[in-house]
Amino acid sequence: MTEALSYFTTAWFDPWLLFLIAAGTFAGIYIGAIPGLSVTMAVSILISFTFSWDVNDALCLMVGIFMGGVYGGSRTAILLNIPGAPSAIATALDGYPLAQRGEAGEAIGISTVMSFFGGMVGIALLAIGAPIISDFALTFQPRDYMLLAILGILLVGSLSGESLAKGVVAGAFGMLIGTVGLDPLTAEERFTFGFTELWNGISFVAVMIGLFGVAEALGQLRQLELPAIKQKITRIVPSWASLRRYLPLSLQTSMIGVIIGALPGVGGDIAALMAYDYAKRTVRDPEVPFGKGAREGLVAPESANNAAVGGAFIPMLTLGIPGDAVTAIFIGALFIHGLNPGPMLMIEQPHMFWFMVGNLVLACVFMLIFGLTGIRIFTKIVEIPKGILIPLILLLSVVGAYAVNNSVTDVYWMLGFGVLGYFMKQYGYQVGPVILGVILARLIDENWRRAIISEQEHLGSFFANMFASPLSLVLFAAVVLTVLSQTPVLGWIRRLFRRA
Amino acid sequence: MDYHEHHVKHRGEDAFGLVVLVVSVLLLWKSYTIAGFSALSSPGAFPMAASAVMVFSASLVVIGNARRRGRLSGEEILPRTVVLFTALVIAYAAALVPLGFLPASFLFLILAMKLLYRASWLRSLIIALASLALVYIVFRLVFQVVLPQGIVPEDEILAMFRHHPAPEAP
Amino acid sequence: MRRLLVGAAALTMVVAGPVVAQDFPAKDLQGIIQWGAGGSTDVVMRSVTPHAEEVLGADVVMQNKTGGVGAIATKFVYAQKADGYTLLMGAENPQLYKVMGLGDIDYSSFVPIDILARGVPILVAKNDAPYGTLKELIDYAQAHPGEVKVGSTGPGGLPSVVTAMLQSQTDLPMTAVPYDGDGPALTALMGGAIDVMPAVLGAALENIKAGRIKPLAVIETEANPVLPDVPPVTDTLPDIATYLPWGPFFGVFVKEGTPPEAVEKLTAAYRAGAESDDFKKLMDERGYKLMNLSGEEARAFLDRWQSVTSWLVYDAGIAKKSPEEFGIPKP
Repeated sequence: MTEALSYFTTAWFDPWLLFLIAAGTFAGIYIGAIPGLSVTMAVSILISFTFSWDVNDALCLMVGIFMGGVYGGSRTAILLNIPGAPSAIATALDGYPLAQRGEAGEAIGISTVMSFFGGMVGIALLAIGAPIISDFALTFQPRDYMLLAILGILLVGSLSGESLAKGVVAGAFGMLIGTVGLDPLTAEERFTFGFTELWNGISFVAVMIGLFGVAEALGQLRQLELPAIKQKITRIVPSWASLRRYLPLSLQTSMIGVIIGALPGVGGDIAALMAYDYAKRTVRDPEVPFGKGAREGLVAPESANNAAVGGAFIPMLTLGIPGDAVTAIFIGALFIHGLNPGPMLMIEQPHMFWFMVGNLVLACVFMLIFGLTGIRIFTKIVEIPKGILIPLILLLSVVGAYAVNNSVTDVYWMLGFGVLGYFMKQYGYQVGPVILGVILARLIDENWRRAIISEQEHLGSFFANMFASPLSLVLFAAVVLTVLSQTPVLGWIRRLFRRA
Repeated sequence: MDYHEHHVKHRGEDAFGLVVLVVSVLLLWKSYTIAGFSALSSPGAFPMAASAVMVFSASLVVIGNARRRGRLSGEEILPRTVVLFTALVIAYAAALVPLGFLPASFLFLILAMKLLYRASWLRSLIIALASLALVYIVFRLVFQVVLPQGIVPEDEILAMFRHHPAPEAP
Repeated sequence: MRRLLVGAAALTMVVAGPVVAQDFPAKDLQGIIQWGAGGSTDVVMRSVTPHAEEVLGADVVMQNKTGGVGAIATKFVYAQKADGYTLLMGAENPQLYKVMGLGDIDYSSFVPIDILARGVPILVAKNDAPYGTLKELIDYAQAHPGEVKVGSTGPGGLPSVVTAMLQSQTDLPMTAVPYDGDGPALTALMGGAIDVMPAVLGAALENIKAGRIKPLAVIETEANPVLPDVPPVTDTLPDIATYLPWGPFFGVFVKEGTPPEAVEKLTAAYRAGAESDDFKKLMDERGYKLMNLSGEEARAFLDRWQSVTSWLVYDAGIAKKSPEEFGIPKP
């Protein structure tokens, strides 16, 4: 135990490591905030950059960037409606309306504190429950992933705005966009219309920047004459009373974040969206309706996406299985530095586990410090006159869309989706469901096919085995309940009973 | 499913709904051509399911639109500024490769700020140069994103800085 | 305009120091990696390149361009100038593009700079499977046709080729469940979603050591030093030796027509990189066989690999076109 403690605090008393984590977290916040720069990208560049470094130094820097980057995405989501990273999509839904009401400072304050809280919950569960949680995550079969993704797609109901039908149109369209390209399982072409450029599919980040950032910028052009929104900076750190109020929700959504983060191949973006949905279903009386600037709509995704960081490290440190794209690169980095990540890492190098946990705690603390300072300057961005801000948003959108794959084609996609998003908004179609569809399409498609192939194409045995597994049964029940709560079916049944 | 009788209809809303329906039918047909009904696990199965859902809900939208006799809103869907600015952005994207990232972005920023804000030349110039410098440092130098070069031979210039006058530079 | 500026830049360089043709590289290079960040191709390239950079005296800016089983990156590099400044950092996949219908470009359109290393395939099973050897697996699968779920990474991937090898020797009715890569498939194996999986040794090694999955056979003619107790596949199916040695490989390539000086410089740089102790250690520990082939040797290796594998997948019925169409000779 004392040994664990000494590994845990390795970086705490080493000024150089401390500096690296701080620098990483600081850089991560900005990497996360800038669309097109991702934590994945930064960490993979760092692999070659830190090649000759000591492994501890490299890991400190990378952990900082990871934690800061997941949080940083919320900045641009709140201020400009461009989620800097996919895990901040849900944050934009209520964060941007808050900024539009002149409460950007408070929105950033809440998201920072909740990110810190979620991050800490994630780390705590990593520290105490890693082996149990990773074994649990392994029991997820393809059909469970499919059910989970279907549960996610039902979020369309929460994101549809005034018309459910229009939301479903948008969600289905998003799922079709997500299937464009060479089928990852059979290399069959889908919706490529003979273009090799489409083999790789349509860049998800380009779609996201287009539908959110560019569509919003074009929409803003309609009200160019309106003066920029004055930001009232009254309170940045949320009051103790409001913290107490949001704490239960934050704790619950952090749990969602950890579990989803720990599942291999599912990351913070889905965790944040599911947490948002959870908040929308459970919070009965938000001060402001969801989608119009509800603070609960910030608390949930921001707690969940940072909790997912700790979650993603669970299978990585215990089994050498990446919990998401970033931990996949961490695994690569450990290889290069001569450590062999895998189930043996905990046994052969027990210090590594506690060292990482200690670093994550530090990164989380630095995130809180850097997150709460300099908010005033940041909120000034929203006060820039629109005639200057909109061209700058477009510049950033173009570079961001290009940078993901170094592709000019992606820039065109981004603009195309920007124009589409503009029309969709004018006619009452929400853009959220499209993004949701794109994120979840592959998860549903591939796992459905794996599941049914495993049953040798027999639907009967597919359902039989589903009902035989407690986990699948729970997920299935959740799907059924959600469908019932969103459609009039439940009402019909009730009326039927009343008549009887 | 679609209850907003009291809502004001936007210009072109009916047409947009129809376009969406037509697109969804085309996508359904295209999904069918991937693998037909060959197997439950075929690459076309999921696209067919998704596009069928899209056709169904798009039909609901179109029916809802037809039933609603809302007053037509006088609001302009495509004001002149939006059209002009969109054209400018498309021209910018088209100029990225032939002109290169730096000149194209510079021209775009100056023109866009003139169009939207009527900023003074000096102010536009300063903002454009400062933001471009920042973007270039972050994306090209720190993150090594190779931006389209066009007419400015950046690589050669960078290599010169790196190898000739200062060999100790990283 | 561009030429003018280049001219001006060149002029200043002449003033600063003489520039002649053998001064390759005069600027930073680009390395296009076919597979995603954190994957084995990515790890290999990112660990060998820093050593090569030292020899070259220039940076190699590496980017991952994924998709289309590596075809996107391959086409991209092929579309660049043949000046040696754009490197293709790839795996074995392009050698099957022609028969899999993924385009007309393969490594014959490129000059191999260095074939760095080759992976050794190994057949692994989930721990609670009712068989412990290849022989028992064959018997079990024949007694329960279609019930054994074998992990796959799509047609043309390592698992599909190894399964085709095994099926060319004996009746082995299994159901192939496709995954996005060997990482996710091995995870599924540990979770019991699939029963067996042919994987590259390096990816499965740590899990074997930890006893989370069990090895059935290495697809080689002799046991591997990292796992000396695992029998070679030829113990059970001796005739499979005609296909061996076989394995996925990693290499650095430039487009055909690249000036010989550039090819020479690059070859020397990557050879030095592959000979570095760091890289050797990394490859040994991961169970890869260091190859470090260039020039004619590399070409011969690529041709043999293509001929063996193309005919194998064609005979197994997973290829879309016959290797004959492209003049790929039978092994």
